[in-house]
Amino acid sequence: MSDSANPVSIELKDIVQEYPHKDGTGVLRVVDGISLSLQPGINMLLGPSGCGKSTILHMMGGVRPIGVQTPTSGTVLIDGKACVEAHDDAVMVFQRYANRPDLSVEENVAFPFRLKHWRARVSAAEARQRIEETLAAVGLSAHRKHLPSQLSGGQNQRVALARALVLRPRILLMDEPFGALDAQTRAEMQQLLVQIYEHNPCLVVFVTHDVTEALTLGDRVIVLSTQPAKIADDFAILEPRPRSVTWQRSTEAVRMEERILAQLHAASTGRASLRVSV
Amino acid sequence: MSELTTWNPYAPLSAQTTRTLGIAAVAAVLLLWAVISATGLVSPNKLPAPWQVAKAFGYLAWDGENGRSLLLNATLWSVGRVLAAGALVVAIGIPIGVLMGASPRLNAALSPLIDPFRSAPVVALLPIMVMWFGIGEWMKVLFLFVGAVVYLIPMVRDAVRAVPQAYWISARDLGATPLEAVRHAVLPLAMPRIADAVIVAVSVMWTYITVAEYVNAREGLGQLIQNARRFSAMDQVFAGIIVIIAFALLSYQLMRYVKSRMYPWETKL
Ligand SMILES: Nc1ncnc2c1ncn2[C@@H]1O[C@H](COP(=O)(O)OP(=O)(O)O)[C@@H](O)[C@H]1O
Ligand SMILES: [Mg+2]
Repeated sequence: MSDSANPVSIELKDIVQEYPHKDGTGVLRVVDGISLSLQPGINMLLGPSGCGKSTILHMMGGVRPIGVQTPTSGTVLIDGKACVEAHDDAVMVFQRYANRPDLSVEENVAFPFRLKHWRARVSAAEARQRIEETLAAVGLSAHRKHLPSQLSGGQNQRVALARALVLRPRILLMDEPFGALDAQTRAEMQQLLVQIYEHNPCLVVFVTHDVTEALTLGDRVIVLSTQPAKIADDFAILEPRPRSVTWQRSTEAVRMEERILAQLHAASTGRASLRVSV
Repeated sequence: MSELTTWNPYAPLSAQTTRTLGIAAVAAVLLLWAVISATGLVSPNKLPAPWQVAKAFGYLAWDGENGRSLLLNATLWSVGRVLAAGALVVAIGIPIGVLMGASPRLNAALSPLIDPFRSAPVVALLPIMVMWFGIGEWMKVLFLFVGAVVYLIPMVRDAVRAVPQAYWISARDLGATPLEAVRHAVLPLAMPRIADAVIVAVSVMWTYITVAEYVNAREGLGQLIQNARRFSAMDQVFAGIIVIIAFALLSYQLMRYVKSRMYPWETKL
């Protein structure tokens, strides 16, 4: 539960990430010295594909890739404490929702309580109650007995979201969660996320490549440059949610959109010229 | 011309047509066989007529003179050996395959020891196994075991490795220990393909059963065929082979059915 007296924070300090090159020669610098301080709110993270958004998000969740030191240098702090492994307060939601196909909706949402870690922390009765609440919150109570294969993409993403929410995380890390959904479903999911957020404000980091999504959801928009990623832009959106179509078409919104697109465009042309030089 | 323009490899074929074509093909072969036998083109010592095979089958199924069923006895022995070896394959092969799938190190160490045997002539190992394990029951079961397990282990490993990493990452992120992530996120998704590996292993054992029973078997379908051949009873050889094929098919279909009931959620490609 977020506690307004003690708001959660994430701090990245001089994060550099290098991966061993695919062909085995040298290293590939993906993230190039990012410092960032995040507070509760919906923080949108944009950037050209391959620039290191997922890498950064994984770091914040404490999930480390196998065989690669992460971060190469720099520190990730959650509430001022170094975060080096999977963190109780931070839960990730992926585009590939990773629902177990053999478990019902309800069992998928209850999945974390199969793990010792959470069984030791949450009583069975409490878990039961949280599952009920969360199923209701994401609108899946009526589908609790269904298998993921019987659900649409949007509903599957609701299951994944519920599995995260059932842990009452103070940090929600979402990696292009609605990227594979059709426009209509995506709009519904965005609405749902806002609802859930308003009900229980926490720190959301939301990776997207969709500028409209950033403007619809974000309290803050952080734009990364192309590989190696640096922060190219970082600004706040003060307009309250839900954001009307009128606002979306206002000069303010259009300017923001152009601002983001200019950055992404600069990044992609930079990338193209880089390719030519290579 | 019209034949070629309407040809579409992706066109669905109705179950009815599939069955009709299959039965027709079998019937055609039977007919050809009958014609060849009836015209006396090939000597019955080389190719017994279908009706001779049927008669031999009847004799093997129930030998009225001696009041016994050679076929039942042989089948029980062979099925028993396949079951015993199958239990070993499952109990030993699946854990090894899962460990190899879950540990790249272990895989790197073990796969050069196991993978080559998939293409090695396992039959050539038979004399060695006889030397090591004698000519008793153990040797036969172990031979079946080795023949099948070298197929099963790599398949199980690949089944585990085929599970998208997202499941692992997601479970780890939720606080699963590595062992829990394998048990609760990776293994359940690998199960349908592990079941496929078991089905293949059993099919492989049915093809090896005759070889296993060549050496000093007093019972079993392989021995029955071997024995019949010794007495030049080609009709009985054919009947024995047909029974083995029937059992292999039957167990295959049965296992497929059980698998589809156990893992109805498996996504069809
Ligand atoms: N574990 C890894 N090992 C090697 N290279 C990696 C690894 N993870 C990511 N990369 C590389 O780092 C770059 C950034 O990846 P990623 O963070 O997934 O970008 P994004 O999410 O912005 O598309 C890509 O070029 C990718 O190939
Ligand atoms: Mg990504």
